[in-house]
Amino acid sequence: MVENIFVGFAEWLRSLLAAAGLPALFGDIVLMIVKVAGILAFIAISVLWIVYMERKMAAYFQARIGPNRVGPRGLLQTAADMGKLISKEIIIPRAADKIVFLLMPVLIFVPSLLLFAVVPFGKNMIAVDLNVGVFYFFAVASVSTIIFWAGGWASANKYALIGAMRAVAQMISYEVPMVLAILGVIMIVGSMKMSDIINAQQNVWFIFTQPVAFIIYVIAATAETNRTPFDLLEGESEIIAGPFIEYGGMGFAMWFLAEYANLILVSVLATTLFLGGWLAPFGLTFIPSWVWFLLKIYFMIWVFMWFRWTYPRIRVDQLMNFGWKVLVPLSLANIFVTGIGMFIYRAIGW
Amino acid sequence: MLRTEEITLNMGPQHPSTHGVFHVVLKMDHEVITEARPICGYLHRGIEKLAEARTYTQFIPYTDRLDYLAAMLNNTGYVQAVEKLMEIEVPERAEYIRVICCELSRIASHLIAVGTYSVDIGGITGFMYCLRDRERIMDLFEMVCGSRLTLSYMRIGGVAEDLPDEFIPALCQFLDEMPSRLDEYDGLITGNEIFQARTKHVGLLDPGVAINYGISGPNLRASGVFWDLRKNRPYSVYDRFDFEVPLGKRGDCFDRFTCRIKEMRQSLKIIRQAVEQLPEGPVMAKVPKVLKPPAGDVYHEIEGAKGILGYYVVSDGSNKPYRIHVRRPSFINLGFLNELCKGWKIADVVAILGSLDIVLGEVDC
Amino acid sequence: MFGQGLLKGLQITLQELFTKKVTVQYPEESLPLAPRFHGEFVLDVEQCIACSLCANACPNKVIEIETAKLDKKRVLTGYMMRLQYCLFCGLCVEACNKGAIRFSQKFEMAKYFRDQIPLILYKGEPPVQEEQGNTGITAGEAEGTEV
Repeated sequence: MVENIFVGFAEWLRSLLAAAGLPALFGDIVLMIVKVAGILAFIAISVLWIVYMERKMAAYFQARIGPNRVGPRGLLQTAADMGKLISKEIIIPRAADKIVFLLMPVLIFVPSLLLFAVVPFGKNMIAVDLNVGVFYFFAVASVSTIIFWAGGWASANKYALIGAMRAVAQMISYEVPMVLAILGVIMIVGSMKMSDIINAQQNVWFIFTQPVAFIIYVIAATAETNRTPFDLLEGESEIIAGPFIEYGGMGFAMWFLAEYANLILVSVLATTLFLGGWLAPFGLTFIPSWVWFLLKIYFMIWVFMWFRWTYPRIRVDQLMNFGWKVLVPLSLANIFVTGIGMFIYRAIGW
Repeated sequence: MLRTEEITLNMGPQHPSTHGVFHVVLKMDHEVITEARPICGYLHRGIEKLAEARTYTQFIPYTDRLDYLAAMLNNTGYVQAVEKLMEIEVPERAEYIRVICCELSRIASHLIAVGTYSVDIGGITGFMYCLRDRERIMDLFEMVCGSRLTLSYMRIGGVAEDLPDEFIPALCQFLDEMPSRLDEYDGLITGNEIFQARTKHVGLLDPGVAINYGISGPNLRASGVFWDLRKNRPYSVYDRFDFEVPLGKRGDCFDRFTCRIKEMRQSLKIIRQAVEQLPEGPVMAKVPKVLKPPAGDVYHEIEGAKGILGYYVVSDGSNKPYRIHVRRPSFINLGFLNELCKGWKIADVVAILGSLDIVLGEVDC
Repeated sequence: MFGQGLLKGLQITLQELFTKKVTVQYPEESLPLAPRFHGEFVLDVEQCIACSLCANACPNKVIEIETAKLDKKRVLTGYMMRLQYCLFCGLCVEACNKGAIRFSQKFEMAKYFRDQIPLILYKGEPPVQEEQGNTGITAGEAEGTEV
């Protein structure tokens, strides 16, 4: 019953609208609006929660207890912070390109929101199950690079410019190993549809058949989301906040929240591609699929936090070296080995 | 490599990793530094001048504010200089207490150096662990002299008060637990490959050049020069302790960092020996209420946490010093910054500056 | 090499995740202070002989003492510390022969307004004139006077 709570709700809504004598198209539109609203609510709540979780986790890793004043156990801390940031004055530097400067923090959310359309939250719980889901994911995700760059450029600040240039270099070069890494998975499945990929993991998760790809993906994803050890874009001890340096108040909050939305997204992709998505391990199917999915993405998010609060930051030239000279060849080798493996697999003819 | 237009970047005075209000003007060819001009003076308080309007004893609290992370060492350097001028014999117990406190201060200072260096490289967790353990030293100081940071514990002729009864057990507990904490830093920070990639072979300091520039302390020893005043020119009772002077090989940021961690271990060793040998007796020599050193001057230097800390005291026979000059190791260690940073990237400037371990209170005085 | 140190770091932080936290939730609980703690000053007026040794020992001229002559004896009429300049070095406490000025364990000394910072430890009326019409030496009138 709990398993189908969302799907059931959608069916009920559709039948209600049909019973009211409205055309099917209208029903579809209403349903899509409900889905979008649901996803937006999910993003808003989980981003607030993840910011809180990050602060708590950071504290626990550092022998502190973290936020504990606002609300029970500090649960309302992020809400309070948001309230504060919203109420702050928006300061625009005199030399800044005003339109771009103000537009970019808004635009940064667009790719993230678009990507949530293909997130498989649970069995039959994908807003749009595109047949090129993974491809769409990467295509849209790479757009955010230009938004980072434009935001840094428009700030008319040298630190912001350096940060923006680093953002371009880093995000583009780490997209290559990331895509190459998941190519192994796509080769095995033979489809880029999110639901197909998950269903292909019924017997064994791809983390076990593609461990190298998983490691490469996690490393590249850390770089994509600009988190330690690859937080060169922010690099708080060198270039202070990179592209965000001139942003205050809600502008800053938007960058900040988008970062966490991206964190959710890379975790979603890791879960979908390598951790079996909504599939329950050990036959624990009495727990609904969407709960499993959430548990898995939160585990991935926790792993990223664990990295962040353990590792120092790599240098920019080392970052590029590592990306192009280690990760790309490694992922190519992975594809090669996967191809041979598949060939042998078929030749044996299981 | 392609040369592009140089940009000038003001790093500081408001910058998270210049360790205070330090200002470096960087000239960069894309991210590569062509010139790093240090500008200091934002924290200048005229402490040397203030000394001229205060009596010899009244200057002690001001020495705390030089290198505020190792206040005991600053106190000690100053009072020993005045004692040298007045030829006061300090009771043995006071000397031992001074050694214990100085080494604790050195550990506290190195903990900050290690912790902030971890932050400079990007790992915030290491900083928290270091501060957590430094807090215990602060608690020990609070037991001894009531203050936590600006201690003003040393007096001309001894120390302000004898150690309280609860101090030695607490200190022993600290000594027992600290080595495992140092192992933790080694595991979390030193052993990390990313950290090593960031610091090894970065900011090489040639031993000959280091000597010429007057660089001292762990920065000099990391270049492989055996120069520790506690060994080479023992003052106080340092000749009675058995300890080693950790030396580096290459003189890069990594060596400067590891030298500090190794020095902490040696300091723990010294404290342990000092606690064992701690004699009974008075803690204050017989000194007149009003100190009037004979006219003349004296220069005394000790091994501070950041390097050689020297006090030059000129007396005109009155109860106030005619002139006090402090050889501040942080300031002198900064002299070579430009050469060190040339050819490295912005991230390395932070790494190099952090590895020099400056304290702005001392740089600007 | 090759990730060993990275794994070691992860292991250390994971251990810390489950160890007891060191945070002390300050306003509700606080750590015990050392007996010698340099907190706010207290003055034992009975003990004070208005000798001004403390004021002279102070490196920053924080202490302002007002005295009056009574039967050729100096008595204290005012004792004020300009805490905004105080270094809490303890030289005044050390200078006092009578143990009149002491540190207390109180450390919450933050004030909302600047004029509340000076700490008035004693403010007494000048003693009633008995023989001569002389109220003695008073350095300043009210609290807050700057010298």
